[in-house]
Amino acid sequence: MTDQIVEKVAVQTDESRNQSRRAFLKGSAAVAGGVMFTQAATAAEGAGYDAKKAVAPYAGKEEITNVLQDQAARKSLGFGVRKYPYGMPSPYEKEVQRRTLEWLTPDSMASITMTPLQQLHGIITPNGLHFERFHGGVPTINPDEHRLVIHGLVERPLIFTMDDLKRFPSVSRIHFVECPANGAMEWKGVQLNSVQWTHGMMSCVEYTGVRLSDLLKEAGIKPEGKWIIPEGADASGMSRSIPLDLAMDDCFVAYAQNGEALRREQGYPIRLVVPGCEANMWVKYLRRIMVHDVPMQHREETSKYTELMPDGTAQRFSWYMEANSVITYPSPDFKMQGPGKYYVRGLAWSGRGKVAHVDVSFDGGKNWKEAHFTSPVLDKAWTRFEVEWDWDGSEAFLMSRVTDETGYVQPPMPQMRNLEGTNNVYHRTAMVTWRVHAWENGKSGGMIENVQY
Amino acid sequence: MFNTKKSLVVASVAALFSGSVFAMSGSSDSNTASGEKIDGKYAANYAEIIKKADGKYLDKEVIEAILGKDAAYGRNGLEGKLDPANPYSFEVDDSIDGGNHGNAQCKIPAAFTEVHESVAKNFYNDDYTARGFGTPIAESALEKWNITVDGDGKGLPKAGVGMTVEEGGKVYVQFCGMCHGEFGEGAKGYLALAVEEDLVTSDFTDPAPMKAVGNYWPYAVTLFDYIRRTMPFWTPNAPYIGDAGYLGMTGYILQSNYIPINDEGEELAEDTFFDSAMLMKMNKYMPNQGNFFCDHRPVIHNARCMTNCDKTQVGDGTGNIENYRQARKLPDGTPQYNVPQRLHEDKPGVGHAGM
Ligand code: HEC
Repeated sequence: MTDQIVEKVAVQTDESRNQSRRAFLKGSAAVAGGVMFTQAATAAEGAGYDAKKAVAPYAGKEEITNVLQDQAARKSLGFGVRKYPYGMPSPYEKEVQRRTLEWLTPDSMASITMTPLQQLHGIITPNGLHFERFHGGVPTINPDEHRLVIHGLVERPLIFTMDDLKRFPSVSRIHFVECPANGAMEWKGVQLNSVQWTHGMMSCVEYTGVRLSDLLKEAGIKPEGKWIIPEGADASGMSRSIPLDLAMDDCFVAYAQNGEALRREQGYPIRLVVPGCEANMWVKYLRRIMVHDVPMQHREETSKYTELMPDGTAQRFSWYMEANSVITYPSPDFKMQGPGKYYVRGLAWSGRGKVAHVDVSFDGGKNWKEAHFTSPVLDKAWTRFEVEWDWDGSEAFLMSRVTDETGYVQPPMPQMRNLEGTNNVYHRTAMVTWRVHAWENGKSGGMIENVQY
Repeated sequence: MFNTKKSLVVASVAALFSGSVFAMSGSSDSNTASGEKIDGKYAANYAEIIKKADGKYLDKEVIEAILGKDAAYGRNGLEGKLDPANPYSFEVDDSIDGGNHGNAQCKIPAAFTEVHESVAKNFYNDDYTARGFGTPIAESALEKWNITVDGDGKGLPKAGVGMTVEEGGKVYVQFCGMCHGEFGEGAKGYLALAVEEDLVTSDFTDPAPMKAVGNYWPYAVTLFDYIRRTMPFWTPNAPYIGDAGYLGMTGYILQSNYIPINDEGEELAEDTFFDSAMLMKMNKYMPNQGNFFCDHRPVIHNARCMTNCDKTQVGDGTGNIENYRQARKLPDGTPQYNVPQRLHEDKPGVGHAGM
C-alpha cells in the first residue's frame, strides 16, 4: 500500500459539500412553505441562487468612487524572455525566506534554517524554501565524479555512477521530511511567535529516484545482513544505522526534488529518502551504503537523536515521526481583520501513513469541528486542511488535532509533558495553541499569540 | 510527578526472561479468542485484531484489546514494551543483541503490519535478477572510504596503534581545545565533551541537563568513530592526526570523563598506552550504557473526542483554558514577535504575508 501513491481526494470534502447542499435544500423547502419540490436538485439550485440576496452582506458598505488610474505595469512593456533563464519570485516576495535563529547553534556550518510555513500554500515546498540542516556545511559536488557504493554483507559489492542510477526504473513520490528537533524549542514553554519557528524544520516535496530495495537486491544481500548504514560524502560523513525491514519498505535514493535535480542544501547529487522517518536518516550526498549485521551506534543515534526522560533514561532508535498538525492561518504571523468568517487552514502529516481526520478547536480543546482536506491525501505527506470559523471577536484558543490512518490521535501538550518530561529535545509532537486576542474594536491589534498549556 | 523508567529496569529483566516463554506459548496457541491475553501480557491473535480494525494498530481500542486497558498507556504500557515479544515492542531479545553491555539493537514492532507488508513484497516475495547497471568493486578498493567502526568495535585500527593518554592530550589541546575547551568543558558556545551533570530532573521547569560523553554516551567506541570521521571540525579525518592520534585523543577525552577501565573503577593514567584494545575494554564501563531503551512511542492513546471533551484533554489538563504560558513580553505588555519590524508595528490586517 505504501508502495504506490494513491491519490484520494478526501471523502470529507464531498461529504461537507453534500451536507451544505442538503441543508440548503431543506432551507428552500421551508421557505416555500412546505410545498413539495420533486425537481432535480440542479433545478432547485438554479432557482435558489438569488443574485440580489447573495450580495446582501455588502449592503451599507461605502463604495469607492475615485476613478482608478492605470499603473506603471499598464503603461510600459515588461521585461522580455530570457532575462532570467532561471526564474525567481517577484521582488515583492522577498520577505518569504528561510530563517534561522543565531542562538540555536554556534556555527553556520552545523546549523538549521526553517521553512516559512505561514507563507506556503498547498502541500509542496518550493526548492528554494526547503529547510536546511547540515553538520558540516554544504558541499558542491560534481555529479560526474560522484559515486554510490553498496558493499558489506552483499554477494557482489557494486559502484554506480549517477547515470547508472538513472537507468533504473524510477519512482516519484511526494513526502514530508521533518527534523525530529522540529518544535524542540517549545518543550519547556513557548518561546517563539511564528509557525516558521515552531514547525519550520520540515518541508514536503516530490522526490524522484531509484527504489532502495532494487539497489540492495542488485548487490544481493546476504542472510546475515540485517542493517544498512548509509553515509554521506560531505565533511560530516553523516551515518546512521537503519534496519533492513525499514530499508526494504518504501525507501529510495532520490536524484530529483520537485522536478529538478536536488538542491545542494538537500544533498545534491543524491540523497536517501526514508519516508515517515527522522530527516537525519535521509542521508544527503549519499556515497556509500554498507550492509551490516549489527547497528553502528554512531554519534547521530546515541549522543544525538535520542530522547532523555525525566528519570535519566533515554529513548533510542526513535525512527518514526509521529502524526502532527498545525494551523498556519491564522497563526502568529497574521492579524485578525475583525469579527466574521475565517477559513482556518493548516497542515497535517504522519510518519506512519495517511492523515485520516483533522479536527480544529476554538476553545482550547473542549469542542472540535472536523476540517476537510483541500489537497490530495497522500501517504507520509503533508495534507492541507481547512475549516470554516465564525469569529465573534472574543478571545479564542485555536488548536488542530490530527488522527492518522493507524488510529493514533495527536495528544495535548500537558499529557505529553507528563509522560515524557521536557528534556527530550526531539519528537515534540503534541498540539500547539494559538491564542486569538479579543477584538475589542481592534484594540488588541488583532493579535494572534503562541501560548502553551 | 513524572513517569519513571529507571525503576522499570529491574522489572524488565524479569520480564525479558519470562517474555520468551510467553512468546513460545503464543505461537503454539495461535487460535486464542479475540482479546485474550497470554498470561495477561498481550493477545496472541493481535494480527487478526488489527486486521479486523482496518489496520488501525494505534487506535485506543485496538491497543487496549491487544495489550489490556492498563498496559496500553504510559508507564504500564512501557513496561510491557520492554518485553521483545510484545507486538508493540521495539526491543530485541538480549540473547541476540548482547543486552545493555553489548551492541544493543532495536527492531520494528510486529504490530506495524504496514511495514512488513511492503518489505515482504519488495524483498522476500520478489524474484529479482540484477539489471547489471553497476560495476563490481573489490572491498579492498574501499579502504579509504570505509572508516566505519561498529558497535562491537569491528573496524577499529589494530591493537598496538595508539599513544599514551598524555600524548593524546597534547594532540587534543592543539586541534580541539579552542572549540571544546582544554578539558572538554566547552568553549565559544561549542559543545562540551565532559560535564558532571545529573540527567535526572524532578520538575518540568528544571534546566535541561547537559549531555556529554561521560554522563550520556552509551558507547566509548562511538567517540573514536565520530572524531576520526568528522573532527577537527574544519579539517575532518586529518591525515596529520592519523589513527594513533585519534586513538590518543579518544583516551584523553575518556579520561576527562572519568570512565573506569576495570571493575575496580580504576581510571586511565597519563602514561597508559591507549589503543583499540583498551578502548574496547572500557566500552562496557560507560556509566550510562544501561539507561537506553528502544523507542516506545506512542505512549499516549487517546480516543478522538468531538464535544465536551474530558477535562484531562482540555486546556492545562484540568479543563482550565485560561491557564497558559506565554513567550517573553515587550515592555508594553504585548507578546514579542520574532519579526517585530514586520509585524508588531503593522496595523490590524492580513499581516505581512498578505494571504
Ligand atoms: C571549529 C571548532 C571545532 C574544532 C576545532 C573541533 N570541533 Fe568538535 N565539534 C564542533 C562542532 C560545531 C560540533 C557539532 C557538529 C554537529 O552539529 O554535528 C562538534 C562536535 C564534536 C563532538 C560530538 C559532541 C557530542 O556531544 O555529540 C566531539 C566528540 C568532538 N566534536 C570532538 C572533537 C575533537 C576530538 C576535536 C579535535 C580533533 C574537535 N572536536 C575539534 C566544533 C569543533
